[in-house]
Amino acid sequence: MSGVEVFLTDFLKLTFLSMVPFVLAGQGTMLGGRTGVFNVAQEGIMLTGASVGFLVGYLSGSVFVGALSAMLVGGLFGLVLAYFTTTLKMDQFVVGLALFFTGLGLSSLLPKLALGVTLTPPLIPTLPDIAIPLLSKIPVLGPILFNQNILVYLSILLSVALWYILFRTNLGLRLRSIGENPKAADSLGISVNRYRYLTSIIGGMLIGLAGAYLPMVYTGTFTDLMVKGRGWIAIALTFFGGWSPLPIMFGSLFFAGVEVLSYRMQVGGAFIPYQFLIMLPYIATIIVMIFTFGKAKVPSFLGQNYDRERRTL
Amino acid sequence: MTQIKKFFPYLIAVVAAFIAAGIFIAALKFNPIKAYETIFFTSFRTPNGFIQTLTKWVPLTLVSLAFTVPLSSGKFNIGAEGQMLVGAIGAAAVGITCASLPPILLVPMIILAGILAGAFWGLISAWLLYQFNINEILSTVLLNFISFALIDYVATGPWRDPAAGHPTTVAIGANGFLPMLVNQPPLTIGVILAALAAILIYFYTDKTTSGYELVVTGANPRASKVHGINIRQMFLFSMVIGAGLAGLAGAIEVSGTQHRLIEGLHSNFPTLGLIIGLIARGKNQAVPFVAFFIAILEVGASAMQRTLQIPVQVVLIMEALILIFILLSDLIKRRQK
Repeated sequence: MSGVEVFLTDFLKLTFLSMVPFVLAGQGTMLGGRTGVFNVAQEGIMLTGASVGFLVGYLSGSVFVGALSAMLVGGLFGLVLAYFTTTLKMDQFVVGLALFFTGLGLSSLLPKLALGVTLTPPLIPTLPDIAIPLLSKIPVLGPILFNQNILVYLSILLSVALWYILFRTNLGLRLRSIGENPKAADSLGISVNRYRYLTSIIGGMLIGLAGAYLPMVYTGTFTDLMVKGRGWIAIALTFFGGWSPLPIMFGSLFFAGVEVLSYRMQVGGAFIPYQFLIMLPYIATIIVMIFTFGKAKVPSFLGQNYDRERRTL
Repeated sequence: MTQIKKFFPYLIAVVAAFIAAGIFIAALKFNPIKAYETIFFTSFRTPNGFIQTLTKWVPLTLVSLAFTVPLSSGKFNIGAEGQMLVGAIGAAAVGITCASLPPILLVPMIILAGILAGAFWGLISAWLLYQFNINEILSTVLLNFISFALIDYVATGPWRDPAAGHPTTVAIGANGFLPMLVNQPPLTIGVILAALAAILIYFYTDKTTSGYELVVTGANPRASKVHGINIRQMFLFSMVIGAGLAGLAGAIEVSGTQHRLIEGLHSNFPTLGLIIGLIARGKNQAVPFVAFFIAILEVGASAMQRTLQIPVQVVLIMEALILIFILLSDLIKRRQK
C-alpha cells in the first residue's frame, strides 16, 4: 500500500473509532428529546460515566462491569432529570445545569475517594479490536469497518435499531407524538409521563456509556475534565441530525473526523500553532450550527413540560 | 413580616442542605462539626481570612452577574468562563504593550480593555443567536473551549515568561497594577469596582425603562413582543452586558491579583457563578449576597482541606445540594398557593 493509502485507512479507522461517544450521547439526547425532555447535562453525565466506568472497571477487574456501572449511573441521572421535570415540572434547563455541576463535581471527587491522591494513576486494559471473520478481509473496507472494538459495531446497530423503532413501530409513533403534541397523545391514552421517564432513563444510560468509552478506549484512565466538550458537541450534533437516528450517526462521523484531523495535525507538526488545531472541533461545530440550525427539524415540545391540568399547551 | 415569610423557605432549604452534606461528610468518616466550624469561621477569625473572602467575592459576583443579567431576559449565558479569559487576555495585552504609560491612564485602559474583550466574546454568541437563532447555551460553551486554547496560545507566545514552568506571560507594567485599598493583608480597589458594577446593574434593571423592558422580556417574551419591545435586541444586549462583566472579572484578576496572564487563572469561578446565579433565583440584587456566602464556603473549604484533609470537592457537592434544595423550596411555595 502507498503512503497516502495507509494514511487514509488509518484516518478512517480512527474516525469510526472516535464516532462512538458522539453516536451514543447523540442518540441518548435524541431519545429524551423525542418525548420532549431536553437533557443539557450530557457533559456532566459523560464525566461521571467516565469516572465510574474507569473506577469500577479497575476495582472489579472487569471492563464490562465498569461499562455497566457507567450506564447505571447515567440512567440514574436520567431518572432524576425525569423526576424533576416530568413529575415536579421544574425548568428543564435549570435542572439540567444543576445535574451538569453535580456530574462535574462527582466525577473528580470519586477517584479521590476511591484511590486517594496518586501520582501514577492506575490503568485499565483498553477494549480490544475484534476482527469479524471474512468481512475484515475485504480490502480497504475490512480494516476500516470490520476490525474495530465491540462498541463501534454496537453503536451502528443501535442507530439502525433506533431508526426502526422510531419510524417503523407503534412504540416509535407514540414517542414521536408525545414530543410533537403531548396533549393529543394524552387524549389517545398514551401515558406521557411514563414514556418521558423511559426515554430519559435510557437516554441517560447511553450518555453514561458514551463517557465510559473514553477511558475504556482512549486513555485507560480517568483524568479531570477529560470529556472536553464532547457532551456539548453531542447536543449540537443532535440538532444537526434533525433529532433522527441515522442522520445523527452520519453527523457523528463528521464530528469524529474533525476531531481525528485536529489530533493528527497536532502530532504531525503542522505549520499552524497547535492551539488553533485544538479549536478546530469547536469552530467546526459552530459553523455547522450556522448552516443547519435554522432548518433543523425539532420536536415541537422539546424542552417543555406537560401539565395535563392546564388548558393551554 | 412578609419579607421574613418570603425568606423562610430558603433558610430551611440551606439548613437542610447542610444537614445532608454533614451526613455525607460523616459517611466519609470525617467529623462534620469540625468541618463546618472550619468552613464558617475561617473567614472571620483573622483579618487575612476576611480579606481573602472579599478577594474571592469580586470575581464571583461579577461572573454570577454575567449569568443572571442575560437570564433576566430569559437567555442562558454559560460562557462566563471564556468571556473572563478573553477579558483577561485583553487586559494583559494592554498592560504589557503600554507598560510605560502613567497609572492614571494605564489602569483605566486595562480595565476597559478587559470589559471590551469580554463583551466582544459574548457578542459572538449573541450575534449567532440574533442572526441564526443558534441556541446560546451551545455557542457560549463552545466558545469557552476555544478560549482555553486561545489563552494557551497567548501565554506561550511572544509574551511568554521563559522563567515560568506553567504557560504564563511576563508581568504587566507596574503602573497598571490596581491601586491598593488595604496594604496588609492586600486588598485592591477591585472590591469597589465589583460593588459598583452590582449597584449599577441593580439600578439599571430596577429603575430604568430599558431595564424594565429587559426583565419583561424574560418574564413573557410573547407579551413583550406584542407590546412593541424588540426582544431579539434585548437578548443581544443583555448577553453583551453580561459578557462585559465577565471581562471585567478577568481584567481585575490580571491587574489586581496575578499581575500577569496565567493559564487557568479563572479557577472554578465561572462554574460557581452559575451556581450562585441559580441559588439567587436569577435575581440580580441577590447575587452579591449569595456570592459572599459562597466565598465564605470556598475560603473555608481550602482551610478544611489543609487542616482536616477533607477534599475540597465536598464543598462543590454542598453547593449543588443547596441549589437543589432551594429549587425544591420554590416548588413547595408554588404548591402552597
